[in-house]
Amino acid sequence: MTIDVYTPLLLSLLLGALSPQVARHLAPAPAVRALTAAAVLTAGATTWALVLLAVTLVDEAPPVVADASEDGKVLPEPVPEAVAVVALTVLAVAVCRVLRAVRTGRATRRALRRLCEGHRAGTELVVAASPTPQAFAVPGTPGRILVTSAMLAALRPAERRVLLAHERAHLAHRHALLVHAVTLAAAADPLLVPVRTTVSYLVERWADEQAAGVVGDRRTTARALARAALVSHRPGCALRFSDRAVTRRIAALQTAPPPHLRPVAAAVLALGVLPALGAADATGDLLHLLGSAVT
Amino acid sequence: MAGTTPRGRAERRSPGELESEVLATLWATDRTLTPAEIQADLGGGLAYNTVHTILRRLHDKGLVLRDAEGRRGAYRPAKNAAQMTAEAMHQALDRGPDPIAALQQFVTGLSPQEETALRELLGEGDA
Repeated sequence: MTIDVYTPLLLSLLLGALSPQVARHLAPAPAVRALTAAAVLTAGATTWALVLLAVTLVDEAPPVVADASEDGKVLPEPVPEAVAVVALTVLAVAVCRVLRAVRTGRATRRALRRLCEGHRAGTELVVAASPTPQAFAVPGTPGRILVTSAMLAALRPAERRVLLAHERAHLAHRHALLVHAVTLAAAADPLLVPVRTTVSYLVERWADEQAAGVVGDRRTTARALARAALVSHRPGCALRFSDRAVTRRIAALQTAPPPHLRPVAAAVLALGVLPALGAADATGDLLHLLGSAVT
Repeated sequence: MAGTTPRGRAERRSPGELESEVLATLWATDRTLTPAEIQADLGGGLAYNTVHTILRRLHDKGLVLRDAEGRRGAYRPAKNAAQMTAEAMHQALDRGPDPIAALQQFVTGLSPQEETALRELLGEGDA
């Protein structure tokens, strides 16, 4: 209990630190899947570990203390009281962060629904007659692709196919859902924020690779990204500099596609299972302690 | 709706995907386009008849219009819904926090150095 309850925290740090390396050496599709699964498992385990630590405060509760002194029992204190108080505070902050992430997700979905209003079902492409170059996938069943006329006008015919194939890949592989899952994980466990950053970059890489496959030309795919980035890059434009660095994506398209290394993906997944095991073990220990205190 | 496109010639593109591509082509220019011009733009060995079928389907959906005054047989995109969408999009972008920022956007911003590198990649020099 005193050691394994902390393993989820340690492994969160490790997963966060390793995720950029995973992104560099593994094909984006398996990397996203493994990192997302590992992050969700780790966040769950971390939250549970914090609950366990906070629960140890139960021996400070007046009725429990009164009860114990009546029976002349010494209550076990598996972790220092200060640690338990910190755990409780962190837990409260995590709950607020998760609630905020859920609300943001809901607001985004609402805004997106409004964007597609007035467009009949059965059309994949929704064009916005706007001078702002912009393109994104609107998740749903079926999903849709929203592109502004300015973005379409900036691209050459083959590059427009890249754009459509890229957004289709987001929809087909449910990237919005994966990113939302890892966003919630990072909200619950801030040590996982680097994993979130990596995954949101990697889903773009995944869609780029898919588009390159559909169009059959990595060079055209790279040029489509470059042209779209350049027209979007104007003062007063809606796009901001961010971690989904488009130049890194272009550089990746100029080299051979990254390998699908199963062992690496499996190792990342194992890294997600370990904290769950640690938390489970700690739970067993705490139950045992409480059980022996009660009887 | 689906299934009327002759298979094989259309590469693995589904009718829905082809509709998107034809619509994107029409939106990419201010001019009206004839089916032959669209066919040339799309490439990939797409049959003229296929383009025609797709245009008719887009027309039935009210997404494209036949050019009445100008060139015979030419098409242009219908603007009404697209203008509404643009308004809704700008409203969403102007209202902070930006809900679209949370999405997977096709591209994101650039630093000045990155801009130069990308211009070189496209062979535009320092335009």
